[in-house]
Amino acid sequence: MVHLILFRFRVGIGGGGGDAVVGPARRSFEVPASLSINLRTHDQEHHECDSETHQPSQPAKMPALYLTAPISADPRLALSLAAQAPTFTTSQASSWWSSLPYPLTLFLNSESQEKWTSYENLFLACLRTGDFTTAYTCLEALIARFGKTNDHILALQGLYQEATAQNTGQLEEVMKAYDEVLREDPTIFSVRKRRAALLRSVGKAAEAIADLTVLVDASPTDAEAWAELADLCLGQGSLEQAVYCLEEVLLVMPNAWNMHARLGEVVYMSAQKMEGGDQMKALAESMRRFCRSIELCDGYLRGFYGLRVTTGTLLEALQGAKKGQPTTSDPLAGDLAPPSVATVMKLNELATAKLAEIVRRGTAGEKGWDGYSEVELKAAKDLIDRDTQKIER
Amino acid sequence: MAAIATAINVLGVLFLSHAAYEHSLLTSASTSLPPTHSLLPASLDPKITLPLDITLETLFSVLLLCAGMVLSSADLKPIQWRVWAGTLEASQEAREVKEVGVGGGNPYQALEERAGFWDVRGVGKATRGWMDGGGDKKGKGRA
Repeated sequence: MVHLILFRFRVGIGGGGGDAVVGPARRSFEVPASLSINLRTHDQEHHECDSETHQPSQPAKMPALYLTAPISADPRLALSLAAQAPTFTTSQASSWWSSLPYPLTLFLNSESQEKWTSYENLFLACLRTGDFTTAYTCLEALIARFGKTNDHILALQGLYQEATAQNTGQLEEVMKAYDEVLREDPTIFSVRKRRAALLRSVGKAAEAIADLTVLVDASPTDAEAWAELADLCLGQGSLEQAVYCLEEVLLVMPNAWNMHARLGEVVYMSAQKMEGGDQMKALAESMRRFCRSIELCDGYLRGFYGLRVTTGTLLEALQGAKKGQPTTSDPLAGDLAPPSVATVMKLNELATAKLAEIVRRGTAGEKGWDGYSEVELKAAKDLIDRDTQKIER
Repeated sequence: MAAIATAINVLGVLFLSHAAYEHSLLTSASTSLPPTHSLLPASLDPKITLPLDITLETLFSVLLLCAGMVLSSADLKPIQWRVWAGTLEASQEAREVKEVGVGGGNPYQALEERAGFWDVRGVGKATRGWMDGGGDKKGKGRA
């Protein structure tokens, strides 16, 4: 599983890789003044933090809560992290022994991966909840450890500037700072990604797509960038390009069951705009994608939900097709023939049965079945009930 | 299960040590000379016969210890991809991050969350709006 852990870091921390190199800056350029933090008027508040009493730094084990990044849709993790951030930073702040000469500090520091992951996650949580002072403290600690010109720290600085920008003028400055950094060194992928994210957040989706196209051209194995590009294309309504990007994601990460499900969903969306033989092909492909996601993950609720929906639509389409239109399948192009009605019906029944089982066990909260969210279970239940109503009528 | 396994282990150790103790007492306990073995030279002759009960006790203790070790070992982890993936999706505790790089749920969730492209302004605004609107009024199913 080691390669998965590497992927997790590569994908999550942004193209350039999470390098934890301490020491002098590797690059000869100066970080643009607008991207460095000194211009903001947080120095005064920072001095206030310094004057508080500091507890000695504890080389204790960080709570596992700090190790999860607070970037999911649910804000409660971010809230709890942000609430604990001030005490964390003051407990970690330097005390009398950091002023000792270099060899002795080696014996007394509390260095660990958990510490810096915690700092970063607390930083993100504070940005999310609006506690910019503590975020600044965390960022300063990270800069002190890793240096200002570290790829990832540059991205975090940019993140801070974006979050604290109050008008479009300041956002323009941030954009200019990104451009300057990239002009000096165009290979800093973390900053490239932040630039694309900023373009997207101000609404310039077409420019963001152009930026990301350059990025994936330079680094075609960056699955995160392809996934973001797929999302952007979907937002713009170009479904074929979204499908292409998701297929690229699957090329890089072929065992990602959630991306198979995502691709099934997008292909289903595109199938609803098509007609006749093309629609049949697209529905069949969508069904196969969901089948693959279920092959890769036992009891995958999203996969079974999609399978139920696509088999339902496919059954209707196949019954319509029986009355006339021949479906084209071109063996030279490698298309698969549309599945037979019997197969589709069996899959439909299987999906219904499994959905019912998951809903039953998930709502009962059995051990080993408690990972499904209420929203998902409710949606699955609604799907089953809707179809049983149709049968009853 | 753990208690039973520990008990079996303790019993096994007791019996083994008892058998060893009895074996160590053999030369002092026996008074009569045992029959000499014609195949062995005099210097290698142990001059005792090993009683059957010590042998049986040793074997019994070894069996007990084997059973105890097997019962007290940790559960086997899944080696099939789909079973592993299924536990990540279905169970809450598989999602907890135990150390950096260990645990943490679905590793491909990063492709859907995309930390490198995080929209801090939009998400921040939504979060602050949610907090101002009262926050978490009733608990939801999953963190």
